[in-house]
Amino acid sequence: MPKASDAVQLSRRHLLGIEGLNPLEIMALIDRGDMFADLVQANDPGMHAFSDVLRGKTIINLFFENSTRTRVSFELAAKHLGGSVLNINVAGSSVKKGETLLDTATTLNAMHPHILVVRHNCSGAAQLLSQHVDAAVINAGDGRHEHPTQALLDALTIKRRIGRIQGLKIAICGDIANSRVARSNIHLLATLGAEIRLVCPTTLLPAAIDQMGVETFTNLEHGIEGADIVMMLRLQTERMEGTETPSQREYFSLFGLDRAKLMRAAPNALIMHPGPMNRGVEIDSATADDVEKSLIRTQVEIGVAARMACLETLSAGLLRQNA
Amino acid sequence: MTDILFTNARLIDPSRNLDGIGYLMVADGLITEAELGTPSQCDLSKITQIIECGGACLAPGLIDMRVQSADPGNEHLEDLTILLKAAVSGGITSVVALPDATPVIDDASMIDSLTLRATRIGAAKLYLYGAATKKLRGKAMAELGMMADVGAVGFSNGSRTIMDAMVMRRLLAYSGMLDKPFIQHCEDHKLTAAGEMNESETSTRLGLIGAPSIAEAIIIDRDIHLVRLTGARYHAAHISTRAAVESIRRAKAEGLPITADTAPPYFLLNELAVSTYDTAFKLSPPLRSEDDRKAIIEALADGTIDAIASDHVPVDGDAKAQPFGPSQPGASGIDTLLALTLSLVHQNKLTLLRAMELLSLAPARILNLDGGGLIPGTAADLVMFDPESSWIVRGADFVSNSRITPFEGLPVQGRVRATWIAGAAVFNAAGFSQ
Repeated sequence: MPKASDAVQLSRRHLLGIEGLNPLEIMALIDRGDMFADLVQANDPGMHAFSDVLRGKTIINLFFENSTRTRVSFELAAKHLGGSVLNINVAGSSVKKGETLLDTATTLNAMHPHILVVRHNCSGAAQLLSQHVDAAVINAGDGRHEHPTQALLDALTIKRRIGRIQGLKIAICGDIANSRVARSNIHLLATLGAEIRLVCPTTLLPAAIDQMGVETFTNLEHGIEGADIVMMLRLQTERMEGTETPSQREYFSLFGLDRAKLMRAAPNALIMHPGPMNRGVEIDSATADDVEKSLIRTQVEIGVAARMACLETLSAGLLRQNA
Repeated sequence: MTDILFTNARLIDPSRNLDGIGYLMVADGLITEAELGTPSQCDLSKITQIIECGGACLAPGLIDMRVQSADPGNEHLEDLTILLKAAVSGGITSVVALPDATPVIDDASMIDSLTLRATRIGAAKLYLYGAATKKLRGKAMAELGMMADVGAVGFSNGSRTIMDAMVMRRLLAYSGMLDKPFIQHCEDHKLTAAGEMNESETSTRLGLIGAPSIAEAIIIDRDIHLVRLTGARYHAAHISTRAAVESIRRAKAEGLPITADTAPPYFLLNELAVSTYDTAFKLSPPLRSEDDRKAIIEALADGTIDAIASDHVPVDGDAKAQPFGPSQPGASGIDTLLALTLSLVHQNKLTLLRAMELLSLAPARILNLDGGGLIPGTAADLVMFDPESSWIVRGADFVSNSRITPFEGLPVQGRVRATWIAGAAVFNAAGFSQ
């Protein structure tokens, strides 16, 4: 029977990114998430053993960017563990400057929350915040930098379906330049020994990314050749200036995933997407909704378990710190 | 299909460095043999037509890589049929047209339909550059991938330079991804905004507003840095200044994928021609100094400039019947490309082989087109010309509908006798019968 006292021990107080975590820490978080996923999916009475993990603790979801799935996923995860959740939606355009972020941090700190889950449109915002609060900070996405819990849930989804990460050929396709999901996944999957290929137009390929141990392609069919996992990313038009790609239809014709192109991947290739999807831009509906191949809904389901593991871990870290 | 044997021809094949009297055989529209000497008797069994060339030059058809078509949009100036017929009368078998049409050629369907129309005309082949940016506005990238899919041979913003370095960087990155060259008209429009001619003592004496010649090199220098960054293929069009030549020479020495072309006005004329305020000399880029002209000739000879294009622009007579400043730049060029280029051969500045390389092989290589050689197995796109035959340039005699030329009254040597596309005769000069 799994116990709350088996929580993962992390060498740091915050979860700001995958970069810097060692393979043991990553594997421990994934295994812990795996255990939670079993309990959640089976609606197992064993869940009760964890209903006090966050009892009496305040978790604040501080979202400077709009989000549905990530915010709800964190909220559910915290509630499964008995925590009190507060949602602060500051997605409006008025709060976007670093100065204001620090003011917000000071204000929130005075209320003594235990865990802050932060999403912000600026890279490095979660780190900045973490330097000014007493709470543990979970980065729920900072600009184009990292989205560690997404990478953890993606890895957990793959592990539960295929049983391993090591040695898999994983193609990450789409708007790499603007994607924090891509960066977190590159760090995580490379650390665990996957072979990573990036597929995107040259205009969306960040400089020197091959230094991160990946192979790059500008042709989708070549890039996904023999891939076990095809991970599609959304074209983040809100982070673009407008001249990276000519049009959505051209993007789809060159870089959109459909059944014909998917034939180039490994026979049992699985499709992933962190959402939200733009159907007909990076992926067509028939492929996205293919129950045999698409893991897209599973990713959302697994997200709650992965975030439970993160919340539990950081909470345990706070306990040790206070002891 | 007629099988043709050309005998006693001076074969000029820049792809094989071949220049000498020989024979050439065509079957089913393809060259089957092209060798020095005379054919052996046993080869003649299938021949249905023998053309005795009398020592005239037989060369790969010219590929004119910079042509402005008035069609679509201004068909009254010169429609596609007239343009492509004028081309073959000038020995040009492939025309590459700019996207500056009305509407702008920034969409795959336009390339599709124009290419289809051209095949029905039965004269020169038509290739198209896709517009680099939507409506040529220099901002939003056009659908380069979809245009490449239907045969765009490269991308260009026509007569307008991409001024925004960020847009330019992305265009190079994207066209490089599609493995198509980017063709740039090199002019810093901010520097030349009010310019009426090349800035010089002449512009001062004439009281015309000068546009500094460095406006060309400034853009090329910027683009060279972007080419180094992106690795994309870049082509500088109608180069006219010594500074530009020197920049390109350095970039080539560094091994960057950069090519360039120029047009006859820039190696035959200089800014002094403007002295009469004759608007036939209003060109873009403007006629430059004598020193610039000499630099262009040196660059043609040493390989810094890869190609010569006609830079044909059909201009409305009314748009030229104006004071020099407000008159429209541009002139006809498609009828005179061969003869004007040959004048450098007659001046011993270039060999005939080099001249034909500039006019056919080089554009073919830059744009990845067929042609430029007399190679068995390739399409029999051929021009037969007499390099010595003299005539006087008269706009009124042009086949093209655009009759404004800065070379009016100039005696030239080099006359096209006939032109073939895929082995079919598409032009015969008066007095020449096959």
